[in-house]
Amino acid sequence: MSIPTDTAGRLRQLLAILAWLAQVGEAPVDELATRFGLTPEALVTELELAACCGLPPYTPDQLMEIVVTDTTVSTRLGSALSRPRRLSPAEGFALAASARGLLAVPGSDEDGALSRALGKLETALGPERLVIDLDTPPMLAIVSGAAAAGESLEIHYYSASSDHQSEREITPLRVFASEGHWYVDATCSQAGDVRRFRIDRIDMARVIEGSGGVGEHPGMDNEPSGFEAFVPGPDTRQVRLSLDPALAWMVESIPTVAPVERVNDHLVVEVVVGGDAWLERLLLRLGTGATVVDPSEDAGLAAEAAARILLRYGVDIKNKEK
Amino acid sequence: MMARLDRLERVTDLLLVLLDTPRPLSLREIADRVPGYPEGHAARRQAFERDKRLLRDEGVPVLAEALEGHDQVGYRADPDAYFLADLGLDQDEQAALNLAVAGVHLGGPTGRAALSKLGATGEPPLLAAPSMPVVDLPSMTQLPALPVLFDAVRQSATVSFLYRGNTRHVDVGAIRFRRGHWYMVGFDRDRGEARTFRVDRVESLPEVGPPSSGQLPDGFDPADTFSVDPWRFGSGEEIDVDVLVDPAEAGRVIGELGEGAVVERRDDGTVVVRLAVTDQQALVTWVLDWLDHAEVLGPPEVRTAVIDRLASIVGPGGSAGR
Repeated sequence: MSIPTDTAGRLRQLLAILAWLAQVGEAPVDELATRFGLTPEALVTELELAACCGLPPYTPDQLMEIVVTDTTVSTRLGSALSRPRRLSPAEGFALAASARGLLAVPGSDEDGALSRALGKLETALGPERLVIDLDTPPMLAIVSGAAAAGESLEIHYYSASSDHQSEREITPLRVFASEGHWYVDATCSQAGDVRRFRIDRIDMARVIEGSGGVGEHPGMDNEPSGFEAFVPGPDTRQVRLSLDPALAWMVESIPTVAPVERVNDHLVVEVVVGGDAWLERLLLRLGTGATVVDPSEDAGLAAEAAARILLRYGVDIKNKEK
Repeated sequence: MMARLDRLERVTDLLLVLLDTPRPLSLREIADRVPGYPEGHAARRQAFERDKRLLRDEGVPVLAEALEGHDQVGYRADPDAYFLADLGLDQDEQAALNLAVAGVHLGGPTGRAALSKLGATGEPPLLAAPSMPVVDLPSMTQLPALPVLFDAVRQSATVSFLYRGNTRHVDVGAIRFRRGHWYMVGFDRDRGEARTFRVDRVESLPEVGPPSSGQLPDGFDPADTFSVDPWRFGSGEEIDVDVLVDPAEAGRVIGELGEGAVVERRDDGTVVVRLAVTDQQALVTWVLDWLDHAEVLGPPEVRTAVIDRLASIVGPGGSAGR
């Protein structure tokens, strides 16, 4: 947070500081300044200004009671500006979406405290009509259970990026939903490393007897909070694509590693690719407006995939192969 | 510098005065109570209008009401609309909301700001329990229309916004998240029918009408209309398309479409699904995403559309066999 220079931004910040201060009563200047991203000097200046505000006739009992000493700030309840403000649309939405999101997790308690809290919000703020649908892949319960118990699983996994089925042993670390799918991050005995699996692509899962409670989960301490659906790993490669500018809107949905460049009216992006099948899907979706620039061995991938699919339709476009 | 400082003080005083007054105050009365307005009617009016706009932009409900016995307007702020009503949350409910905000990611601190208004002092930082599933929803900060549409539901207000190049006037029925995207279901006034809109494709910040201006038709059920399938977003005539899916992907296709879409099951695990399509090109894109695991069986013109798309990707060099 930076120091706002416009009056609206300063007012917004001042109101936030006063509301916070009203809840805690007294706070060290340094702590308050850090919390709101201000220098202690700037904070004291703003609060001294606020201390002069009030209602006519501006006698001391009508001014806001803000006491600033060398090290602390304190206030007493009573001023209108220390009462919490109504939730903004964004805040109201964030609360409702968070609560609905958690209730949408299969197995959550639909009559519990969270539902009651939502009911009270609705009574006070108006009807909400917010629906969050999360898929319930068949293996979600067993994978979540294993994550909570620290158990290992034997799984049959269909990899979309390489388009084949494999059997693996995994130890689930964390289960999460992102972009409409459920994922599990797990240590994988086959890869010898942490991998991300889409739970709806796990066709079979079985708890390995006696594997529970094997001490601490590795890698759980400082998990980043960003959940990109695609995590680059050692098997991934980078591919440069040249795109027709008409496809620019699609760039945002592709996990790119390099900033978009413009070369001769075309957009050049560097894409992280996890396997041929993944790249084939992307290229088929992009159609004729996209070509692989580098590496050159991928240049024919889209045409090969298209020819292979055409065989299903009885069209042998390469003629000579069959 | 001095002038800016003065304005924050003036605006803060104005806010306190408007919240405190039980009856609307004329501009003259306001200028008597709030120091810092210039002399001279025109300059005073101009300065006040700027302050009033700033407060309204900051969400302060400044009401303009006719003054009794005068041909004049008076101003006050509606405290009920400014302050947060007491929600009466008990400790369990407050804790459940804290957990929800910690476990559901919306890409910003808005949820925590809301919690702090509800009285959560939030120290130490909120964290989801490691074994708890985490739900990652698309970032709110990328979707400015989302909270506005949500608020329109709360107020039963009509909204207008730009969508696919046209201004739409819609009575909002519900907000819904599914398969990675936020949708709004509502009654489209211009088209006289229920429609589903993707929130990330709303091209302007929606304008919200007065409270209760949205009149959903009797018996309107957002669930009846709701559709997230891209091939249903077109304006073409609806046709039934049959798609054959081989065993490798049959389970996931059914997971996406539901059992109701299946019209045939073969012994080897192959299934045929039937889709009601209004956008053929969107359907072709979806079918190609399953690579050679899916094939359009009919009608012939859709089959031809798939073949044409694939042939264009193979390009002129590979077309010798056609």
